[in-house]
Amino acid sequence: MREVYAIGVGITSFTRLEYPLSEIAAYSGMMAMKEAGFPNIAHLYVANMGGCALNHQAGLASAVVDSMSLTPAGATTIENGPASGASAILQGFLGIASGMYETAMVIGAERMREVDNLESTEFVASLTHPLAEYIYGVTLPSLAGMFTRLYMEKYGVTSRHLAMVAVKNHANAMDNFFAHLHEPITVAGILDSPEAMTNNPYVADPLRFYDCCPVSDGSACVILASAEVAKKMNKPLIRLAGVGQATDTHAVQEREEPTDLLAVRRAAAQAMQMAGIKPGDVHVAELHDAFTILEIVESEEVGFFKKGEGHLALERGETSLTGKIPINTSGGLKAKGHPVGATGVGQAHEIVLQLRGEAGKRQVKNARVGFTCNFGGFGNNVVCLTFIREE
Amino acid sequence: MEMNLYGYKCKKCGQLHYPYRMVCKKCKRNAHNEFDLVPLPKNGKLLTFTHLYTLPADFEVAKLTLGIVELENGIRVTGQVSIQNPHMGMQVKGKIEAVRQEGYDTNYGIVFYEV
Amino acid sequence: MAVDLEKILRPVEHPMPPFEPKYMTLAGGEDMIIRQAKREEIPELLAYVEPLLHVERDYYDVVTARLYSELLAYYRYRVQDEYVLVAQIDGELAAIVNGRRMNADVGMSYHTLALRRGLRVGAHAFATKMEYHIDTMRQKEVLVVAESPIGFRRWMIEYKLEKRFEIPHELGGVPSWALTKELFDRARGSLIVGRRPVPDHLLKKAEAAIIPPSDPPTPPEDTLAATRAKYDSTGTALMLQRRKLTGKEE
Ligand SMILES: CC(C)(COP(=O)(O)OP(=O)(O)OC[C@H]1O[C@@H](n2cnc3c(N)ncnc32)[C@H](O)[C@@H]1OP(=O)(O)O)[C@@H](O)C(=O)NCCC(=O)NCCS
Ligand SMILES: [Zn+2]
Repeated sequence: MREVYAIGVGITSFTRLEYPLSEIAAYSGMMAMKEAGFPNIAHLYVANMGGCALNHQAGLASAVVDSMSLTPAGATTIENGPASGASAILQGFLGIASGMYETAMVIGAERMREVDNLESTEFVASLTHPLAEYIYGVTLPSLAGMFTRLYMEKYGVTSRHLAMVAVKNHANAMDNFFAHLHEPITVAGILDSPEAMTNNPYVADPLRFYDCCPVSDGSACVILASAEVAKKMNKPLIRLAGVGQATDTHAVQEREEPTDLLAVRRAAAQAMQMAGIKPGDVHVAELHDAFTILEIVESEEVGFFKKGEGHLALERGETSLTGKIPINTSGGLKAKGHPVGATGVGQAHEIVLQLRGEAGKRQVKNARVGFTCNFGGFGNNVVCLTFIREE
Repeated sequence: MEMNLYGYKCKKCGQLHYPYRMVCKKCKRNAHNEFDLVPLPKNGKLLTFTHLYTLPADFEVAKLTLGIVELENGIRVTGQVSIQNPHMGMQVKGKIEAVRQEGYDTNYGIVFYEV
Repeated sequence: MAVDLEKILRPVEHPMPPFEPKYMTLAGGEDMIIRQAKREEIPELLAYVEPLLHVERDYYDVVTARLYSELLAYYRYRVQDEYVLVAQIDGELAAIVNGRRMNADVGMSYHTLALRRGLRVGAHAFATKMEYHIDTMRQKEVLVVAESPIGFRRWMIEYKLEKRFEIPHELGGVPSWALTKELFDRARGSLIVGRRPVPDHLLKKAEAAIIPPSDPPTPPEDTLAATRAKYDSTGTALMLQRRKLTGKEE
């Protein structure tokens, strides 16, 4: 296999964007192209989950490849639930690593705010098992709520820990121009004040409003290239050193140990092994915190902390910007936003900035190894990536 | 006629599955659909639950309680919970009822009550 | 001429009980105070509200234009039985709500304007205005309309308001909705929250001066973005990006 590098990245704000989906997608592509000096693109991969269901746009990649005047390059749309983004990066990786392409562009794009909240919740709920979950009214927040209750009981995680994740990620997002939420929140404000129940009501108890990510529009782009192309650029060399993907049962109830996220564990191990690193080598990570509990659990499953101790590390501040292993420096899904198909690429975008040393106020000092975890369904399809900065 | 949820028992190795799958997850090699249909028990233990306040559009109630129950034979199912103050580990009994109306389609599923 | 025309023009005012200030903690941990604005404070408010006339997103322009006229009319005695409440965070203006007493039993809600976003500031201010009508003035119901989708979600949906479509609302004559005492009681403790009395130092600070909003809503970067909106628009972020692309920024 050949080595694969990220030579350009771009992103739009994750927020409400009143533009056609294809335009939203193309914007981040343009940003990345500009950064990479308009290389020849052999193939365009576009990750998107709701184009058909929400925006009347099928075959998004065909629209984008033309809009960006990249024809006759190949173009493929990839729908893999909330893990679409990293899945598309994995496909781009294969394209370059196999020697088939010299450069490939990966865009993740989503436009969910075109419909109201009910409809977008319903749309995301279509990820669940149609007969064993969906018919009962099961949505992603409800799966997360049931999971959180088990986790609290078993490992002593409390609402306070969850609130700490939210506060940390909101604070990180304050320094991210592209983040959806720029609201500093405090544990006192969302948990302790007499008005906390109004400001922060239950959504799927024990999860509350500030435990859930916002519904966002947005897109992000990463251009991947072979060593030959990458070495001609005068940017730090960021290598996509490891990729991993694993799946788990569709219905959550079928998992042997309901508090385990085995797909995360396996995908992470693959992505790290391929890159030749251990969890302790990672300097900065973007984890899929669609719900605050997930950041804690994933930080354990990928191996940063022992199972059941993620919340203790959080308490000690190890995951904050200045901690041992800063997590979700961009604000995470919680505060940066979660345009489902774009999220995985957005995570990669943040890691590339961090490894290049271009993350501004939220820069992690001397970050050389970065890691992302993109979590599809409720953990039934997970893609992890490892990036390494080469000197 | 009493309604049931059905489990699928592998004809080769006897592994019971719910929900339905094409290939046995244990022996992984029965020619597909080689399952016996077995009615699942309805009573069990509530493993976890949530009160959901943001509901899909089909539900015209303010809140819906959902839970995962481990049935007497060890099979776990997700269902609606019709219990005022549920707690983890409590014994529950299930009934098959209409759980969701989608346009003209009525979906039946399991609803759990206090024993 | 012996007749004082002003006496004819000026509506007769009915006595209205004063609103007792209250406060609540926001998600960010700051305390927000809601109190009645004094008539002589109105010119100050006008100055802070005026820039929002040009914010063509989320219906800030329409709502502000109307609110501006109502504030001015209150100042110059041209609306009968109007009142204005202001919400302040650390002295800083966060929201304005107003309305009027129609008769002993019915109140008329006018406008809610949030000058800080994302913290339920507007929702708290609206709830407080309803409280003024129902609890303080002891009215049976308040007539409400929404001029924006966000307003509709906040009032009609969150409170499940009743229809009073036979009554045209004073804002544009559109069909009214009503928040009845019963609906209000149901929302007590969940949507309607806050504490009294306001600690002295907080109240003093608020009354000392209304500080202009530090982060008020601003006009879209490009009005084209707003007109392309399918519903109402906040869609300006891409415009910022476009400027970045063309090198006009950074
Ligand atoms: C209606 C209003 C009073 C509600 O105030 P509020 O309760 O403080 O709520 P916010 O405006 O902060 O938030 C409401 C929505 O705006 C979004 N929002 C938050 N911060 C935002 C920002 N900086 N920019 C744009 N939108 C923002 C929120 O996400 C929320 O949307 P959601 O419900 O889809 O998640 C306020 O939006 C407002 O003043 N609007 C203009 C005037 C108006 O419409 N008044 C009502 C007339 S009846
Ligand atoms: Zn078998």
